[in-house]
Amino acid sequence: MTRTTATRCLKGSLLGAAVIAGGLLAGCQGNRSDEPPVHLLHNMDFQARFDAQEKNDFFYDVDCPEEAAADDAAAEEAAEHGEHAPHRTKTCYGRAMREPVAGTVARGHLKDDDHLYRGRGADDRLADTLPVQIELNAALLARGEERYNIYCQPCHDYSGNGEGVATQRGGGFKVQPPSYHIDRLRAMPLGYFFKVITDGQGTMLSYASQIPVEDRWAIAVWVRTLQVSRTKGGK
Amino acid sequence: MPAIFPRWTNNIPLAIAILAPIFGAGLVGGVWYYFSPKFTDAGYRPIQPVAFSHKLHAGDMGMDCRYCHNTVERAAHAAIPPTQTCMNCHSQVKTDSPKLAPIRESYESGKSVPWIRVHQLPDYAFFDHRPHLAAGVGCVSCHGRIDQMTVVQMDQPLSMSWCLDCHRNPEPNLRPLDQITNMGWDPATEDYDPKADPARKRALTPPEHCSGCHR
Repeated sequence: MTRTTATRCLKGSLLGAAVIAGGLLAGCQGNRSDEPPVHLLHNMDFQARFDAQEKNDFFYDVDCPEEAAADDAAAEEAAEHGEHAPHRTKTCYGRAMREPVAGTVARGHLKDDDHLYRGRGADDRLADTLPVQIELNAALLARGEERYNIYCQPCHDYSGNGEGVATQRGGGFKVQPPSYHIDRLRAMPLGYFFKVITDGQGTMLSYASQIPVEDRWAIAVWVRTLQVSRTKGGK
Repeated sequence: MPAIFPRWTNNIPLAIAILAPIFGAGLVGGVWYYFSPKFTDAGYRPIQPVAFSHKLHAGDMGMDCRYCHNTVERAAHAAIPPTQTCMNCHSQVKTDSPKLAPIRESYESGKSVPWIRVHQLPDYAFFDHRPHLAAGVGCVSCHGRIDQMTVVQMDQPLSMSWCLDCHRNPEPNLRPLDQITNMGWDPATEDYDPKADPARKRALTPPEHCSGCHR
């Protein structure tokens, strides 16, 4: 073998190795990576509009007065020197979705129907009936069962004993949820269960933001169904 | 008179004839493989500010997806839950866990937890979860086995051709409407005919025209 062929051979294999190494470094399809996906046309993919739950530097949130004060001071200083205000700090997470101004009510959200929204009758006591808007039928029970199994079952378990999977793991609950099948809760009116879902009770937080009002009534009916299932068909 | 080109240049046409197709094929193959969202997007797995495990919550504990992502049936966007949803249980369980410190901090201060978004469609693509759920497309079809992921990653490329694959032939990805969030429901082993399901109200004709998604 002459010297030139040896060099050529070496060069060739180096080139081949480089191609293979490049391929290996680039990885395969579906490889895990914490590098965000490539956006070739960034301003097309992220247009100048705000979607649900996006961040918006225009707004401060009410809970970050320090950041707001610092930015106001920086803007004032810039104005004194006749300059544009610098960009606002981004340490404070402004939300594109805004909360309504305190004390205002959006149209159609007055919620002045006490029976439907608070579970209370005309005498301001917890009602034992469904609101007129909601009809008791098989579909309501099915809906109630489905929603109960999504939102309540993790703590209260499928049959309402208060021994859901969340209460059994990681050291358990400090305060165990009560069983529905005790005399105190059997005696409660239907509106009580609606009220507890809506406002929370004891260590249970409010589920009003998670569950729409009609579904809360359906769940209340399902809780009653679970109770009745153990008292042989009636209170 | 000496030759203008040395003798070795006679090999150049042969070398071009051999190497150019190889180079061209490599270029096309490389673009096909590496420029595809299957490479650039699938597998994206950001490290979140709190090490929330879907495997624990949705898998081992069997919580329904909608306990946290409760807007998915009512809105286009399947919301990331507010901190209060975490506190529904974690005001009781693991209340001293250092891993949950950012959650407790957020609950007290009211500031959002800066979760990093995993699935992000471009803004020019219209997407709404509601019709997909109403049609019986399960969560798992697009998001993969979330219930087996300790750290959530993109399972599918979410590319246009991937969307169209299903819009042109949706039936293999349809399931009974009460099995939407059941990650273990496998269409390959279940005998389910969407055309014969009386609970199904929507026609099996997802849009394939441009303005179906680019509005």
